[in-house]
Amino acid sequence: MAKPEQVSDVELRALLESAHEMMRKGKSSEAVRTLSTAYLKLLALKPDLLDRTIEPLPGRKMPAVMRWPMLGANLTLESVLAKQPEIQFIRERFSVSEAITYYEYTLECAIAANA
Amino acid sequence: MKFGLFYELQLPKPYDRETWDPADERRIYHEMLDQVELADQLGFDYVFEVEHHFLEEYSHSSAPELMMAALSQRTKSIRLGHGIVLTPPPYNHPARVAERIAALDLLSNGRVEFGTGESASDMELGGFRVERGLKKAMWEEATREITNMMVSEPYAGFQGEFFSMPARNVVPKPLQRPHPPIWVAASRRETTMVAARLGIASLGFGFETPEELGERTREYYRLLREECMPIAHALNPGLAVLNTFMMGPTDEEAIRRSAGGPGFFSYSLGYYYNPATGSKHPPGRVNLYRAYKDSSSEGEAEERVARSGFLTEAQIREGEPREEVQRALYRAARSGNAIGTEQRLRATLRRYEEQHLDVMIFVAQAGDRKHEHIMESIDTFGRKLLPEFKERHETEHRKWREEQLRGIEFPINSSI
Repeated sequence: MAKPEQVSDVELRALLESAHEMMRKGKSSEAVRTLSTAYLKLLALKPDLLDRTIEPLPGRKMPAVMRWPMLGANLTLESVLAKQPEIQFIRERFSVSEAITYYEYTLECAIAANA
Repeated sequence: MKFGLFYELQLPKPYDRETWDPADERRIYHEMLDQVELADQLGFDYVFEVEHHFLEEYSHSSAPELMMAALSQRTKSIRLGHGIVLTPPPYNHPARVAERIAALDLLSNGRVEFGTGESASDMELGGFRVERGLKKAMWEEATREITNMMVSEPYAGFQGEFFSMPARNVVPKPLQRPHPPIWVAASRRETTMVAARLGIASLGFGFETPEELGERTREYYRLLREECMPIAHALNPGLAVLNTFMMGPTDEEAIRRSAGGPGFFSYSLGYYYNPATGSKHPPGRVNLYRAYKDSSSEGEAEERVARSGFLTEAQIREGEPREEVQRALYRAARSGNAIGTEQRLRATLRRYEEQHLDVMIFVAQAGDRKHEHIMESIDTFGRKLLPEFKERHETEHRKWREEQLRGIEFPINSSI
């Protein structure tokens, strides 16, 4: 069962807990912004994640971190390739389901990375 | 565990021609009617049919509401599932969805399962001018309002981000109250957790293993109990997963009958859903089946298909892609799981049952599989395996579900 208390890094855990609380209060947009910060924090803590690749098509590799959901808070490929990951916001408002998607993804990644 | 059938209505082109025979589309539609009618007679619980647009060969099911209406008159008990309706407003105006779901519910005497989703292929998103980055928000806004339309008399109207309409009484109302059970298509783990937190069922398209499914089930029901913020007026707790399905008198014969199904399913799915190929598809000018048959990896794929019925889980996993979507494609192509004899299927399906899966949905119609083999498989499964699973569902699983749902005070409308 994935919960923020499974994350060791104090700052990252606090960001996840804060995002969770925002989600529960219906503050979806704020939660997505916090989760974006949390994901960038995770990548700073575990820079080796930037080197991992997936192969969507045979012979076509892409950075695994690009699986971050592209729902309006978008991780840019250029920044990942430059090892200076950035998330660009193409809109201000986010829905509940989008916040949940970002939360579940970030939490899973943090736990899987032993952050 | 309950059982259903799943339909994309796949129609590979003839290998040596550029288009189909005029009667081919008619044929697959009527074959589906026959297959579901038989499944209904044997006690299958669900049929789910997709809504896809422009995905030639991969799916010719663009108007599932019409097939469901036809099935409502040819079947008596089987639940009629949209798997799914595309609810972003550019595809279907929310009021039209509410009207169609309600009308089908009346026609079928309350047998509708309202699956919802967003779509992901460039052919569909681009064809209806849906911006990829907004589709989930569109799905949520429309799905929430569709349920409001089904329960409100009159519907108060809505000024939203993606659609608006004045106050109207949306009629008819569905027979099931407050509305039919609601599902969401989930090809990624995150979406299953979205389903849990919003109180709807997860229609899993990821071909998960029993062990993965077990973890997701535990987490899904925990979130449902502890953190649910319902999107609708009744909860629909449940997890379903897809599995490829073909039976035969021997494992070898079942694999032989199945071989052109999952392979083409996976190939065409990968073609349309990968931006590198799907976005560049020239409409009407590709023979995907020929490309699949001629692909350089075909030999490897067929070898894998031929072997996989006899591989251990560890061996199967050894060659699996780690990326979730690619893993789903790989597993769709893998001729294992619900393919084989009665004995093999019993053993495989018991593993899902032990992980408390609610609904197993079989993909039988796929690629160039033969109608007579699908009918024989439905018949064999329905007579030899379905009764024992049904019995355990009514006793053991229902008791387990009651424990999972204990303490939930929100109304529940679920057919599971």
